[in-house]
Amino acid sequence: MNVLILLAVMLCMAMVMIGGKKGAISFLSLFINFLVLLFTVYMIANSDNDPILWVIVACVIISCVNLFFINGINSTTIAAFLSTVITMVVLLFFILIMTDTTMINGFGEEELDELSLFSLYIGISFIELAAAVIIISTIGAITDISISITSPMREVHLHNPGISRRELVHAGFAIGRDLLGTSTNTLFFAFFGSYLGLLIWFKDLSYSLGDIVNSKIFAAEMITILCAGIGIALVIPIASWITAYLLIRKSGSAE
Amino acid sequence: MKQRFKNISVLQFSIYAVLLIGFIGSLYFINHNHGFYDQPIVKITAATVEETQELTDIYGNEDVLYTQQLEGKIQNGEYKGRTIELDNEYSLSGADDHEYRTGQDLFVFIEEAAGEGAALSGTIDNVKRDQYILAITWIFIFVLLVIGKKQGFYSIVSLALNAVILSYALDIYIRTENASLLLIAAVSVLLFTVTSLLLVNGFNEKTYAAIVSTMLGVFAALLLAYFAIWTSGGNGLNYEEMQFLSRPYEVVFLAGLFIGSLGAVMDVGITMSASIFTLYEKNPEISIEAMKTSGIEIGKDIMGTMANILFFVYISGSIPMLLLYLSNGAAWPFSFSITLSLEIARALAGGLGIVLTIPIGIYTSIFFVKRKRAAQ
Repeated sequence: MNVLILLAVMLCMAMVMIGGKKGAISFLSLFINFLVLLFTVYMIANSDNDPILWVIVACVIISCVNLFFINGINSTTIAAFLSTVITMVVLLFFILIMTDTTMINGFGEEELDELSLFSLYIGISFIELAAAVIIISTIGAITDISISITSPMREVHLHNPGISRRELVHAGFAIGRDLLGTSTNTLFFAFFGSYLGLLIWFKDLSYSLGDIVNSKIFAAEMITILCAGIGIALVIPIASWITAYLLIRKSGSAE
Repeated sequence: MKQRFKNISVLQFSIYAVLLIGFIGSLYFINHNHGFYDQPIVKITAATVEETQELTDIYGNEDVLYTQQLEGKIQNGEYKGRTIELDNEYSLSGADDHEYRTGQDLFVFIEEAAGEGAALSGTIDNVKRDQYILAITWIFIFVLLVIGKKQGFYSIVSLALNAVILSYALDIYIRTENASLLLIAAVSVLLFTVTSLLLVNGFNEKTYAAIVSTMLGVFAALLLAYFAIWTSGGNGLNYEEMQFLSRPYEVVFLAGLFIGSLGAVMDVGITMSASIFTLYEKNPEISIEAMKTSGIEIGKDIMGTMANILFFVYISGSIPMLLLYLSNGAAWPFSFSITLSLEIARALAGGLGIVLTIPIGIYTSIFFVKRKRAAQ
């Protein structure tokens, strides 16, 4: 019996037992997202395709799956979708500049020992790839926050139809801020967990602080964590503004 | 404007002042810290591409190789101020090489110069990245503070605090002989949970319920992962690709899984306890059954997105390696199982933790609500 299949079956059973139909949809969406990722990797593996373009396409499809497939198409999910995509694109350009200036592209010297048998000249831009990796790692969190901001904002608007756009944006910010702590924690611990081996390695080989800070791998991990945090914070104003704009414009035209 | 100024308290003002001083001071230090490094650092003053060569490897991947001639000034050590000439070869893809530009700082090894006054020669070791890490850390801090205000501040403090706890716990692990990583991870997980949740929510029953359900949730995830590995004899998990191993891999993997799922489980735990307590506070007479039903409804809404968050964090890191395997002619199933099996196992086990924390969180919160009711 394969561990992965066993765990997948266990997860599927748990989700269906607790979540019923919605649980089944959640499990299915995980599976679809996985296929989308594999397809993206397949497309990037062809060096004629631009990694950044395909990552944007993947992000759009993944946010469609996470928002429309799980929650249905309505004004809330459309606002969340727009906020997610805009945040992604803004963040992506910031990350591209970061990966380019910090030179965290490719593999670190610690990894290269095992890769001596590989041909490294594969014609795929590793700078763009590094940016793609960071953006994909945050897409789940960004869609989560944008839907968690837009849906209560719609409730606020529903219960106070006379609310001004400014007040609505303010409400969105307040909702977002309450999510900030737990969402950044979710990401930070996930990264801590996957970098545990690396941290032990640094300590075991007694790297000096200077060695650690300047090493490519540590820099890459730090930049990933910090960019993820920045992305989570950025989605708050973007989602608040877009939702407020869409909601107020809609009720304005109805009058 | 005046109104705005009045609203700023002394405490806020001092926080801003400390931030500003820290910002300017650290930026000044990091740009003038060359003397603290033993290894020579070179600032590139001129970079020219000498040669361009197109190449195709045996798998048909096309790439371009460039040879770059660099000139720079040494910033520290005994050769400080002297000129150095360096050669650099880089490829278009850049899996193991970089195109250097003027103004960048590089760590180098110096070889002796041909004669007095002539330019030195040497080889490039690494890029000096500390100033960039610092810059992005400040961007992170400012973005979180501007957007998140107080909550942003708490997130930064909690990140810093948890990083310190983790680093300290690993120090203990390294220093103690025969120390059990899982035990140390378990103690750290308890510390992480208590500090993070208390910091965000303060001392109250809601927080206690969240702490208890988070602990039960991560332990359940760990147990199930262990059970799955044990029943299947580890079949399907490929530790070969696990990098940076100086310790037994299975334990490192399990401890990573343990800590990695903690954040998501904590998120679910606090969401469940906050919503159950809100229900109770709005209507103290509410029945246990009604609380259970509402709890399950909320849980259904969050479990999919939470599982997705973990999934993307874990899988994304393996993409470059997967691409390297594929471009080197490895078959899909092989590359897939080598590069992704551990990450998928982590994501699935974390997902299990998330889903199980929903009922655990509901029952724990109800237990605390019952206790509160009995006390009144």
